[in-house]
Amino acid sequence: MAAVRTGQVLLMLAGLIAWAVQFSLIYGATSTLCGREWADATLLGLGIVPASILTVTLAALAVTAAAFAWSLKGYRSAETRPVSAADRFMVQSAALVNGFSLIVILWQGIPAFILPACA
Amino acid sequence: MNAPERPESFERREPELPNALPRPAGEFEALKRAWKSPRGLSFITDVNNTYVGIWYVGTAFLFFILAGILALIMRAQLAVPESDLVGHDLYNQLFTMHGTVMMFLFAVPAVEAASVYLLPNMQAARDLPFPRLSAYAFWAYFVGGLVFFGTIFFGLAPNGGWFMYPPLTGTKYSPADNADWWLLGIGFIEISAIAGAIEIIVGVMKTRAVGMSLDKLPVYSWAMLVFAVMIVIGFPAIILGTLLLEMERAFDWPFFIAERGGDPLLWQHLFWFFGHPEVYIIFLPATGMVSMIVPAMAQTPLVGYRLIVLALIATGFLSFGLWVHHMFATGLPKMSLSFFSAASTAVAVPSGIQVFAWIATIASGRMKLTTPSLFVIGFLLIFTLGGLTGVMVAMAPFDWQAHDTYFVVAHLHYVLIGGMVFPLFAAFYYWIPVASKHALSERLGRWVFGLMFLGVNVTFLPMHITGLIGMPRRVYTYPVDMGWDALNLVSTIGSFMIALGVAIFIYDLARKFRFASEDNAGNVWNAGTLEWLPNGQYATRSIPAVVSREPLWDQPNLSKDVEEGRYYLPGTATGGREALVTSPFDARPQYILQIPGAGWQPLLAAVFTAAFFLLLTVKLVLPSVVCGVIAIGCVIWWLWETDPGPTRPPADIGGGIVVPVYVTGPMNHSWWAMIVLMVVSGMVFTCMIFSYLFLWLVNPSAWPAQGFVPPHWVWPATAAALYVASAILIDRASGNLRGEDRRSPRSVPVLIGIALLLVSAASAADLAAQWRAGLSPSAHAYGAAVYALVSYQIFFVLTTLLMGLYTIARWLTGKLDSVRRTTFDNTMLFWYYTVGQGLVGIVVVHGFPRLTGGV
Repeated sequence: MAAVRTGQVLLMLAGLIAWAVQFSLIYGATSTLCGREWADATLLGLGIVPASILTVTLAALAVTAAAFAWSLKGYRSAETRPVSAADRFMVQSAALVNGFSLIVILWQGIPAFILPACA
Repeated sequence: MNAPERPESFERREPELPNALPRPAGEFEALKRAWKSPRGLSFITDVNNTYVGIWYVGTAFLFFILAGILALIMRAQLAVPESDLVGHDLYNQLFTMHGTVMMFLFAVPAVEAASVYLLPNMQAARDLPFPRLSAYAFWAYFVGGLVFFGTIFFGLAPNGGWFMYPPLTGTKYSPADNADWWLLGIGFIEISAIAGAIEIIVGVMKTRAVGMSLDKLPVYSWAMLVFAVMIVIGFPAIILGTLLLEMERAFDWPFFIAERGGDPLLWQHLFWFFGHPEVYIIFLPATGMVSMIVPAMAQTPLVGYRLIVLALIATGFLSFGLWVHHMFATGLPKMSLSFFSAASTAVAVPSGIQVFAWIATIASGRMKLTTPSLFVIGFLLIFTLGGLTGVMVAMAPFDWQAHDTYFVVAHLHYVLIGGMVFPLFAAFYYWIPVASKHALSERLGRWVFGLMFLGVNVTFLPMHITGLIGMPRRVYTYPVDMGWDALNLVSTIGSFMIALGVAIFIYDLARKFRFASEDNAGNVWNAGTLEWLPNGQYATRSIPAVVSREPLWDQPNLSKDVEEGRYYLPGTATGGREALVTSPFDARPQYILQIPGAGWQPLLAAVFTAAFFLLLTVKLVLPSVVCGVIAIGCVIWWLWETDPGPTRPPADIGGGIVVPVYVTGPMNHSWWAMIVLMVVSGMVFTCMIFSYLFLWLVNPSAWPAQGFVPPHWVWPATAAALYVASAILIDRASGNLRGEDRRSPRSVPVLIGIALLLVSAASAADLAAQWRAGLSPSAHAYGAAVYALVSYQIFFVLTTLLMGLYTIARWLTGKLDSVRRTTFDNTMLFWYYTVGQGLVGIVVVHGFPRLTGGV
């Protein structure tokens, strides 16, 4: 039971955890690459800073989209079969949190395509 | 009580009553006896949340008054140009103390204090799970806070601004003790806040009414849960910051001195990683209060419960992505700033969700315009205005214009007064009938609201303009011809209007507030939540089972049935104070927690802890150490009486439910508290690693400093092996201590003893390696960062040593066996954490310079 509950909490917070990881990585990468003057390198034709931000953002979006889809599936399942009120609440909240997180993660990654990396 | 009509739902059936009438003779008397307070002077030793909560709220309010008086002195000084009422040095102390006291001694303690009183009542728990910890947190704060405030009368108050930026606060520019009072005084009050946060997390998760599953948890409990988790994550950064700055001042370890590889910006990162979430740490409990008050005033359930929970959780996360928006003017790359701008705008969304949910609730019900309602409306208006200027300063180009001007002063006061003070006053008016024989006066309450609402706007609205036309903050006076005169005079008049409002509130409080429990004013608002059940010092006579978020509306006989003892645990199973522990998700009964009662231990431990820190501030090292040792002794004395073991067989709490009176392992409440404590410790350590990497980033060619050869790899390998060996021995001891037959094998203390030697040797090897290699902590930031990590680990090893010896002492006195093993479990968890932290530290200190090619 404890494992199920842990899974529910992780699913509920998956999007926000993905945002936290994305935020830490893109800020850390930008600070390190600019601070150590490594920002002139390129990756697949993109500057290393925007390329890093793009990669991390896509990964965070993928994790959150998966969590969103999983929570929606649970949400639909909770509508059709008897589950406890707490379980229904957890999947509904998970869908809300992960849906909101998708927007936040996208919003967080946009500056990479507008601003110069280290100016 | 007139319950509004509700649609029927299969989940809202009233549960069958678990206990029949009449109740056995003497049952209620035994319950009352168990919770009776000591008489005379010993009354202050009580730890019941009913008393500690009220003392705590009262003390927080006292600091609000004191810091408010400081503000009035400043406003009097600024009322006219070129005033000489207050000199520049005193003015520096005034604004530093005003900010510090309001943030650290009023705002955070006030919301924590309110929850100590309210949470158990709202969740129908008899008390919080660690009442002595609450009492310790309160007394430490009370004594430490008053002494800290007293420094203003001796010219010793800190004067570097509430965020204490170095290099201004380093020894070069602040050689006197003023800064040390802030660093040690506030540093230790933060520990008190963390103690409260641990209590709140475990309390919300483990001590609730039966059936109060997560979907029925009051929004206030959700808000306090997020609040407490945010303290656990955010406060370690400032604890580390104060520790590093104090080490720099005391031992000349140059973390923030640029000439020796340090960087003042490191302080700003650490301070604001705590400082910005701090705003939400204060704001979220206030929104929790509003979410309880609005439905009662509108007599309708809260609209958008799930969305509000989402908003609370999302705010808790996103608020940790804003800290650099206080550092927009420090020259960081624009790309980096933009990440924080993006998060700063994103966090407005969850706040907006809550505002719209409250407006929708008000619209869907019939809002009574009582004093709490007025303060809620005032909160909505003032906080929204502050939020809008917040979005403005979240834009880096605007912030560059407004930075360090009165515009920022206006913004932060709109946010903090609107977002916290108004909801707190709403809460005072709303909940005082629970704690007092009489409610406060509605007529005077309208005057209080009117004066405060007008006063806040008259004071701070003009400050937006004062700032935009160039008046910097923190100036003790200004010339005549700057165009700031009239605006400042208006602001001063407004501030005295606020003071008049608060004075009327105090007058009303003195007139009407009479502490009460059984004979309180009662449910004067016809609210639907459990804090309005009839209660006494024991909280409710029996622990109810609830079927909705507004049980008093949906279960019309609930109050009567609870009071008659027809619900769970209507007496005392063990003869002492108890709480019913429930499962975290579904709130099913798990076990009866035996709660310690009144005692001098937490009070004395708090007084001597305060004395340790405060004497250290004035460099009285020996008396300070003596007080520290006495404080540890008091904590051991306090703990010795805990972990009672299964003092009786499992007890029937009603409805055929039989629960044990003692459990161990992950179900146990102290296991949860240890996990939270480990998260706190891990966050301090993570911030330390961040500091290490940050200093590396600003010292690319000196990591390590030129000419230093790091210790040979044999040293760290030996230390790591010793750490791992000690953990294996503890695991072995744990294995030997299993079984239902109450065994206490001799091998347990022997294994713990050997493990203690190994873990001590590991940290000694780690320290000796650096020392033998000739690394100095004061020559360069590299050495300072390395020794900071090593010292932090030594602190943990010393704590492990103490816990290990304590566990052995429990074994020697027959208080530890395979069933009664909570003490061992706590020591084991802490041990594993210490070993893990030691290993990570070794990898960083010895591996990183080799990895980056510095060696």
